[in-house]
Formats: sequence, structure tokens, C-alpha cells
Amino acid sequence: MSAEPLLSIRDLRTVFHTDDGLVRAVDGVSFDIGRGETVCIVGESGSGKTVTGESITRLIRTPPGEIAAGEIVFDGQDLTALSDEALRALRGDRIAHVFQNPQGALNPVYTVGWQIVEAIRLHEDVSKGAARDRAVDLLDRVGIPEATRRFDDYPHEFSGGMKQRVSIAMALATNPDLLIADEPTTALDVTIQNQILSLLDDLQTEFDMSVLLITHDLGVVAEVADRVVVMYAGKVMERGGVFDVFEQPSHPYTRALLDCLPGRGDGAASIGGRLPSSTDPPAGCRFHPRCEHAVDACREGEQPPDYAVDGDDDHVVSCVHYEPGGDPSVVRGGGDDAGSGDAVDDDGGDGRGSGAVGTPPADRTLRAESLGDDGSDADREDRA
Amino acid sequence: MRWYVVRRVLWAVVATFLILSVTWGLLAVTPNPAAEQMQFQAAASGGSAEAAEEAFEARRGLDRSPWVRYQEYMTNMVTLNWGWSQSRSQPVIEAIAAALPYTAIYSVPTTILSILLGLAIGLYSATNQYTKSDYAATFFAFFGYAIPNFWFGIILLLVFGVQLGWFPVVFDSDIPFFSLGMARQLVLPVVVLVTGTIAGVMRYSRAEALEYVEAEFVKTAKSKGADGYRILTRHILRPAAVPLMTILVGDILGIFLAASYLVEVVFGIPGLGQLSYNAILAQDTSLVLGTTLIFTFVSVVGNLVQDVAYTVLDPRIDYGDR
Repeated sequence: MSAEPLLSIRDLRTVFHTDDGLVRAVDGVSFDIGRGETVCIVGESGSGKTVTGESITRLIRTPPGEIAAGEIVFDGQDLTALSDEALRALRGDRIAHVFQNPQGALNPVYTVGWQIVEAIRLHEDVSKGAARDRAVDLLDRVGIPEATRRFDDYPHEFSGGMKQRVSIAMALATNPDLLIADEPTTALDVTIQNQILSLLDDLQTEFDMSVLLITHDLGVVAEVADRVVVMYAGKVMERGGVFDVFEQPSHPYTRALLDCLPGRGDGAASIGGRLPSSTDPPAGCRFHPRCEHAVDACREGEQPPDYAVDGDDDHVVSCVHYEPGGDPSVVRGGGDDAGSGDAVDDDGGDGRGSGAVGTPPADRTLRAESLGDDGSDADREDRA
Repeated sequence: MRWYVVRRVLWAVVATFLILSVTWGLLAVTPNPAAEQMQFQAAASGGSAEAAEEAFEARRGLDRSPWVRYQEYMTNMVTLNWGWSQSRSQPVIEAIAAALPYTAIYSVPTTILSILLGLAIGLYSATNQYTKSDYAATFFAFFGYAIPNFWFGIILLLVFGVQLGWFPVVFDSDIPFFSLGMARQLVLPVVVLVTGTIAGVMRYSRAEALEYVEAEFVKTAKSKGADGYRILTRHILRPAAVPLMTILVGDILGIFLAASYLVEVVFGIPGLGQLSYNAILAQDTSLVLGTTLIFTFVSVVGNLVQDVAYTVLDPRIDYGDR
């Protein structure tokens, strides 16, 4: 992006002080969100996606949580340096949130109208009547039938999808610049998911806002994202434009995630192993215990720095195979880069061949052996 | 909703009716100590025990059929003709009317203080969980919970009444109700009762609030830009008030009714507790019955208030077809 991004996160580190030790939930995450852009953070549960989203407006509980380092520059202001008071004025006004579980996101003892009016009147000095009119408009806009009548209904009188629409209406009440939507469709059934996604898409254009969409669903990403941030165990594995990441998936983890998409020839695969211990992550690349392409360089030191993929600074990957002079074909397989160019449309993945991280059964023993010398808890459990 | 409230009120009336009937039944089958005494005296002076019993029953109207007696009993109950207190030589209802203000004058401030302080400390503890002040509040709560009321009262009397002389040791019922002197002699009883009741309120409100401190809708409220006070009062306390109603009404009623016996006896307050206590010692059946029924009615009304409060507080409670 040539223009100044709306939100720029640099080396964000959010930690939680727990009884088991220090959990580095977000460990050096950097990415930008341009104006009017949709950025998706993808990753497994526990990869730090949600904490990243909630760190932006400091919604995480402190203590035990703490934003230990990093910059969050929103429209020229560093939010980490902002006072609680100033940040509160920003929350819900310029940066709004929609959460995963619409069942729990609305207060059960107030009418939905009351809750939307509250969102408006917390930031704008408008009369109750005017706020009510706006709330009804918003309910109407997000597709609640008979909005005027439903204004005085309680959350339990709405279905899950309708509740999520109400949540979205509430988030849009003050016309925010940035909407952070944390898995807004995960708790909903599939038909409703699409409705909510296209609603978000329409509203983004209408309200001219940027959206940070947190999801584990790559199908959703492919549909709505402009750019993608792939997270794993608190680190950014790969980030870039949506076409680059899907057509040229570069990090072994991204490739493994793509293999988990169902309905691509031989069905959905799963990634063997599990997330590393959050209090005692492995040295080197966080993904190496589950990575087929791990070499000695992956197992020592820190997470590799961001290397540009094919010389493109907007598409970076944190993998030793991409360091200058390295051989990316180890990951992409087949020796020629061209073969990896069509991961999404590809029906069988023959171009990637054995390079894919998804789990053909024959590979299981091989990986288990290679994991053996690592000896972390997760691996032991995986083998047991 | 009006229909629901009407039904609740009717149920309260039915419950009262049942309580009164069962009480009558128990009394009817219980041997009367006064009758036994008559029989004993008659037998001792050479007369017939049976004749004495019959004479006694005839005088008391006990020779009539149970149904007639039951009807008369219920009529008397409803018309507040609750019998004659032998130990006090005055109508039961008068004795109760005289004692009630003395119970109210310490239990009303006790209830208000324990709710306000208990809620405040509980909410503070919930929002500052596992901090030093939370532990201090928890210690205070368990101290109040564990320490026996009457013993704590005696200790306070010894320290602040006898040794330091800050507060009067003997309750003086001649002091006018709304005066500084009355307030002064109520300090110790109220402190004793509040330390007992505050613990329950504080622990429950802490637990209920904690349930909501982590709730998603509290996060939503925070993400909307609500400040800490608004989140606490509107988004934590308000939903927590629903389950808290059970504790506030049930627990406080229970604790202070039971505690009033001990505290009134220890501090010498001529309230309902002491009246009931003395009536039991004197085997004054009518007065025991009267004072016990007062406590029962307070419980019935308390539960009614609680049921109705639920429907006001929680929109999810469906009162449509019940």
C-alpha cells in the first residue's frame, strides 16, 4: 500500500502471567491494515489470533494479560501509549468489535434496542429519541425484519444468526473506521454463515471501513480477504495478498492448512501433532516439530525472520528455506516453482507431490520418528 | 405478568393457610401442660383426675368437636385474636405489637448495611480477584461467617461496653426510638449481626459477579467503550441481581430471624426474639405460637417478594402460562 495504513502493528508481544508460567500468546506479530481493506488472520485455535485482535483495543484482561512490547499505530496514534481513558473513547467509536459467540455477546437482561442505544450514546451526545431512530435504522440495515417492533425484544427472543446481526448493528452504531470481527460466523450454522459474511461485505463498502477478520476458515478467507496473515503459536508464519498466499502458499504451515480444506480431490487432511506448549515453546521455528521439511537450522535459535517470497516484499514468510540463497523448492516440492502455483484450483495436488504437509497415512510413521528426538510433551502425547 | 403475580399471591395465602392448619393439628394432639397440672392437683387433693380434666376442657372449650375448634381457631387467627399470654398477662397480639418495633429498629439497619456493604465488598473482590484486598475481604467474610453471633456479642460487650465503656452494656428501652442514645446502644448488636450476614452476601455477590466479569457481554460492553463503573453496575451487577435475589431475601431473612433470638437475649433488647425466648421458657403456648407465626409470615412474604422480583429482574423468566 502506498498510502499510510489505517492500522499498523509492529512486533506486538502480548503475554499472560499464569500459574504455569509466562504464556507468550502473541510473540512479535507485525502487519498492516489499509483503509477500506479486509485483512484476515488465520490459524488454529490457540495460535494467538484472538489475543492479537483484542490487544489492539486492550480488551485483554490485565492482569493476567499484558502488552509487553510493540507498537499499535492507529491513524497515526500509538494505542499502546494511550491512556485507558483515551483508549476507551476510541473503543466502540472508531474501532468496533464483533465477537464469536452471539449467544453470549448480548446482555440477557436488556433489550437489544437498549444495548444499541447504549453504544450510540456512549460516544455521541444525542437524545434518546434520535438514538432510538438510528438504532431501528441499524437493525433494519443488518436485516432484522420488523426492526421497530423487535427493538424492544430481549436477546433470548432472537435466533443465533439474528443475534449476530444485532451485534453487528451495535458495532456499526458509531460508524467505526475499523471493525474487528473475531470468528463472527463460527458459532453459526453454514447457511447463516454465508448471510453474515455477505452482510459484512456489503456493510464494509457502505460504511467505508476496514475489517480485521479473525477466522480459522480458509474458505472464508478466500471469499472476503484482501490480505492474509497466517499465525501459528503466537508468531506470523506467512503474510501477503490473498492471491499470493493461496496461489503461492510458501510456509509449510500455510500449505498444511490449505490441505485441510475439504472437497479437494482426496478429501480433507489434518495436520499431525498439536500446538506446542504455550509456556515453553520449541526453539527455532515454532512449527518445526510438526513440519516435514524441518532441518537442523529450524530447530535452533529464534523464529526465522520474514523473508520475501520471490522478491515480493508484500508477501513474506518466516521459514529458513526462503532465506537468501536458500532453496524454497524443498517446501514447494517438485523442484520447480511453477508447480506450486495453483494450490487452490488444483484438484489433486500432484504438482506438490510429496511436498504437501497434509497427512497421507504412510507419512505418519515417518514423521513420528522424526519427532522422536524432539521429546516435547505434545509429541509424546501424539505418539501415545 | 399480572396474572403470574396474582397466582404467586394466591399461593402465599394457601401456604399461610396450610401452615396455620398444620400448627393447629400439632397443638391439638399435644398434651396440654396446664391440663396435666390440674389433673395432678385434683389427684393429689383426693379428687378425680378425669373430672378435673373434663372440667378443664369444658372451661377451655376443648370438649367441642375438632371441626368447631378448628373453625374458631382459624377465625381468631384471621381476626388477629391470637389469645391471651399467661406469662405476660396481656393479649398475645399486644405483646407482639410492643416487641416488634424493637426488632425492627436493629434489623432494618442491619439488613440495609449488610446488603450495601456485602454487595460493595463482593463486587470489589470480584473485580480485583486474587489481590491482597480480595484476600482481606475473604478473610473478613469467613471470620464473620464462622464466629458464633452470641459469643461475638458477649466479647464485644466485654471489650467495648465493660472495659472501654464506649457503649452501654444494658439496653435501655426507655430511650426514645430516634435519638442518639438509641443509635449508640444499637451499635454493638448491629455490628454483631452485620458481621454474620455480610459474609454470605459478600461471598455470593462475589461469586455471582465473577460469573459475569468474564462474560462475553461484559467484553462487548467494554468494546463499546463503557467505563469500569458502568460495566460494573449495568453489565455485571444487573444480571447478577437475579440469582442474588435468592440470597438477599432468603439468606438475610433466615439469618437475622434466627440470630435475633441470640442477639436480643445477649444484648437484652425487648424484641420479638426475646419475647419468643421467654415465652418458651415460661411454656406460654399462645405466645410461642404467636411469635413463631410472625416469623413464618415474614418468610412467606419474603418468598413472595422474591418470586415477583425475579420476573421484574429477569426478562427470560416466562410467566405467561404459569
